[in-house]
Amino acid sequence: MHHVPRGTLLTNGEAWTIAFTYFTVAITVSLVHSTAGTPTWVIVAATLLVNSATATLAYAAVTAAGGTVPAGILAGWLTATRFGVLAAALAPRLWPRRWKRTIAAFSAFDPNVALANREENDHDARRVYVAMSLWLVLPWWVGACIGAVIGDFISDPRALGMDAMFPALFIAILRPQLTTNIARLIALSGAVVAVASVEILPGGLPFLIAALPALLALRGDGESS
Amino acid sequence: MLTWGVVALLAVGVYGQRALGMAFVDPNRMGARSKQVLAMVPLSILCAVTALQTLSTGGELGFDARIAGITAAIILSWKRVPMFVVVVGAAAVTAAVRALL
Repeated sequence: MHHVPRGTLLTNGEAWTIAFTYFTVAITVSLVHSTAGTPTWVIVAATLLVNSATATLAYAAVTAAGGTVPAGILAGWLTATRFGVLAAALAPRLWPRRWKRTIAAFSAFDPNVALANREENDHDARRVYVAMSLWLVLPWWVGACIGAVIGDFISDPRALGMDAMFPALFIAILRPQLTTNIARLIALSGAVVAVASVEILPGGLPFLIAALPALLALRGDGESS
Repeated sequence: MLTWGVVALLAVGVYGQRALGMAFVDPNRMGARSKQVLAMVPLSILCAVTALQTLSTGGELGFDARIAGITAAIILSWKRVPMFVVVVGAAAVTAAVRALL
């Protein structure tokens, strides 16, 4: 982690910012899972194998709010749809060989895909994708292990207000996405649908029908704030 | 609470979608409209999760100290402070209000 690839648009400052962000987020996410009762080794395995904070958090949040296990898993899968879309957008610029892209797919997050896509030629896009994947994934794994170990020493999570950490984390994750009117409308609709249906529908369903407001994106062609 | 089985299912589902997008779907054959909708699905679901994590417990609506903590989180995140500060701030406010009530 000494430098970023020479000759690319990527700067040291951007790389360090992303590394630090993923490090602190990983500590926080692991703490949240730990206080929800998940054993340390399962948290470490989830971080390494699922490689997505939102997917594991969505599962934990749905089941903690009374949802069933299948509903939690479905919610986790649905939050990962964006990785597929992001990966598809970058794929034509990465290696022509499919097996290389199949390996590269494992670390398709939001910032590394975005920074790679910013490069003008495909060769630089590949180098930035590899470098940023390492800058992101390594601090992410180390932070997750630290958080999982610290979490074992916390005995009364509610007295420390830790039940507010889940929703606060989601607000911090989502805020930068609320840049267009249509995104704000979809966000608000998702929340309203869930609150309106939580006492009527059985566990987990309110989270899944809350995906429907995403269809509003079809009406927002070209609109921005 | 995560279990080994859940971790395995989430891992397969999440990696499967990444690999589909990266190596097995021709992006030119994916319609612009499907991309627009898919890109918004996580936002919609995560807002629902946030609302219910703040306003409900075990499937019933209710108000408690979390409201104060999440209000603090909203203010802090709009001030663009680092994510870690947003989360710790929300927990601190919730804990303080809970101790006072």
